[in-house]
Amino acid sequence: MKHTYVLLLIGLVLFGAFLAGCTQQQVSTTPSQALKIGVVASLTGPSSTTGKDVWQSAQLAADEINAKGGVYVKDLGKSVPIVLVQGDDESTREGGQKAVSKMITQDNVDMLVGGFSSAVVSAHQSIVAEHNVPYIITGASTPVITRRTDVNTSYMFHHAPTTDDSGSQTTLFIDNVIRPAINNKFGYPAERPLKLAVLYQDSPYGKGHLEAIKNTIANNSLKINLVSQETFKMGESDFRTALTSIKSADPDVVYVAAFLNEQIPIETQAMRDVDLKKIFIAIEPNDDPDFYKGVGKYGDYSIIQSRFSPYTVPKGPTETAYKKFVSDFDKKYGGFPGMMGVATYEGVYIGAKAVENAGTLNKTAVKNAIATLQMPQIVENMQGQTINFSQDFRESKFDLTMEQLVWDTAVNETRPKIVSPANLKESEFVLPDWYVPAKA
Amino acid sequence: MDIGLDIFLQVLVWGLYAGCIYILLATGLNLIFGVMKVVNFAHGQLLMIGAYVTFSFFVLTGFNPYVLLAASIPILILIGVSIERLCFRPILGTGKLNEIFISIGLIYILENVAAMIWTDEWKVIQSPFESITVAVGDMKIPVDYLIIIVTTVIILVALYIFLKKSRLGLAVRATSQNRKAAMLVGINVERMDMLSFGIGAGLAGAAGTLWVVSGQVFNPYMGSVPAVKAFAIVIIGGLGSIPGAIIGGLLLGIAENFTVLTIGGAWKDAVAFLILIIVLIIKPTGLFGEEAE
Repeated sequence: MKHTYVLLLIGLVLFGAFLAGCTQQQVSTTPSQALKIGVVASLTGPSSTTGKDVWQSAQLAADEINAKGGVYVKDLGKSVPIVLVQGDDESTREGGQKAVSKMITQDNVDMLVGGFSSAVVSAHQSIVAEHNVPYIITGASTPVITRRTDVNTSYMFHHAPTTDDSGSQTTLFIDNVIRPAINNKFGYPAERPLKLAVLYQDSPYGKGHLEAIKNTIANNSLKINLVSQETFKMGESDFRTALTSIKSADPDVVYVAAFLNEQIPIETQAMRDVDLKKIFIAIEPNDDPDFYKGVGKYGDYSIIQSRFSPYTVPKGPTETAYKKFVSDFDKKYGGFPGMMGVATYEGVYIGAKAVENAGTLNKTAVKNAIATLQMPQIVENMQGQTINFSQDFRESKFDLTMEQLVWDTAVNETRPKIVSPANLKESEFVLPDWYVPAKA
Repeated sequence: MDIGLDIFLQVLVWGLYAGCIYILLATGLNLIFGVMKVVNFAHGQLLMIGAYVTFSFFVLTGFNPYVLLAASIPILILIGVSIERLCFRPILGTGKLNEIFISIGLIYILENVAAMIWTDEWKVIQSPFESITVAVGDMKIPVDYLIIIVTTVIILVALYIFLKKSRLGLAVRATSQNRKAAMLVGINVERMDMLSFGIGAGLAGAAGTLWVVSGQVFNPYMGSVPAVKAFAIVIIGGLGSIPGAIIGGLLLGIAENFTVLTIGGAWKDAVAFLILIIVLIIKPTGLFGEEAE
């Protein structure tokens, strides 16, 4: 019996050691003085592909800053290196709470960067608020993240376009570019309203887009009629009935607020199964090599709203930085960093700059420094070419592009061409020959 | 909204298609439960592996993905037999908790193995018949869905003939009906366990192939949702009843799609459990279930 207990104890100790070994800890031993940044990323679970991009992009930024001597902290009278701490949210709310709580209370991070979906970020915001840790959120598209009132979000800064931003810019594009193109091509009166169908994910992300579309139409008195609003659960893969319903509403354009794993079957099933010959609009998280590969020829002539594309670089002041970042990332890790990756890369730079400006690692001072930051844009095109956070809801503002996918026989996939805004335009928006408009 | 006859029929086809995938999954699950009285929570992961097997052979050989049923079914049968031998047989009869935790553990193991082999990025392939449609009245139905429905019927008929007409099938049914009596008349019930687990896994493999052929995306984590639906179908149809799984699968596939059409996609997953509650209130053993021993 005694032996059994001893064996049991040894087993428990070994199991504990195994578990400890399984848990991803800090990247390196922490120097006595360092800027410790906790990176909130989905490193396991369904969103782990994006999570890996987030973590690796943060590493790339930290390595670059450290190679230049680190971050100068006036209070310490010297530069300190950045040490990243990995916080795997496991693609779940609970995982995010656990990771953030550990990074704040055990790893004593100076700030947090990252955060993926709105649902996961919302769930751990109260922990961040309780400990007043500066948090640069580089995912989570819902504007509610920094606007909610049930949690003190004053230490949280949103460095990603919100659904308000992307929904509004996309709706204006539909009215300014697609509607006139349809009316011209088919001889309709210029004032003919465009019939819009919306297929959206039943989540803050999807609902945020729907809300933004409605508000933009109302606030700008746009000639757009919403003829169909269909919803689906996150992770859905069968959209045939929703698309059949949309087809029966006879829209001109179908606006889809979905993730990549949903967007691919939506466009494929629409064209292939339901014969819905309309212009489809995808939203920025989809601008990824996997999307082009997955959607194949069914994506031809569709529109994708973007800010960081794998296949087209907006001409302008960020072109060189864009190419360098993509190339450095590819050399170091292989592949394309994605939008969450680039935002997190910038997030680390923003954090470092804020600490330099604050001259201290004191969290309140760093928070104030982020709030008043005026930093030249890094890789992504920002409004006014400057990274700063709005006074009201602490959101940075991006210049978004609208791209049209065109079949490229050289690669046997579609490739994007920027069709808006005018200053970055690579080609004109085109209505394909197979396109069938709504009945007048 | 006005639902015309053409929309009604179109949605019915989508419902039948969804029902086919559910039927294959739920029938396998029911066969395993019927014989072994084991609930395999990792059954959706077998569908996922079937999808990847099809994908891999398609990429390697370029064969028509329907032909690859000839690869996915036997490979999944082998995987199923291995799982039964290595994981379930040693703990059979040691308590339901052990069986439950083994099958929950298998979910994570199979997902991680798949992510290791195929990465966790979303994959998709297209059927060679993707551009062919069949005109039914005013409707154009892609021929793939008709092939999927016919293929499912063929598989089910083959299963029926095996279970009803062959000696081995008779032995499987006997084990399912009364394990002790089957042993007493000389049936090797452990072999029947292995066989039923293999067939169940093979049916999940077939579901995986048909999932892929219809242009659905998949990654290592896609198995859980279809598995939950299959469990609901098993309970709706009656534990251990194969006709119950068929009727339950069709009922759910069609009900889900008409729910999307009439109430909205947000209610699609809820309808399975709504039907389940209604069926259990009216007939606690499920539509075709018998009183428990």
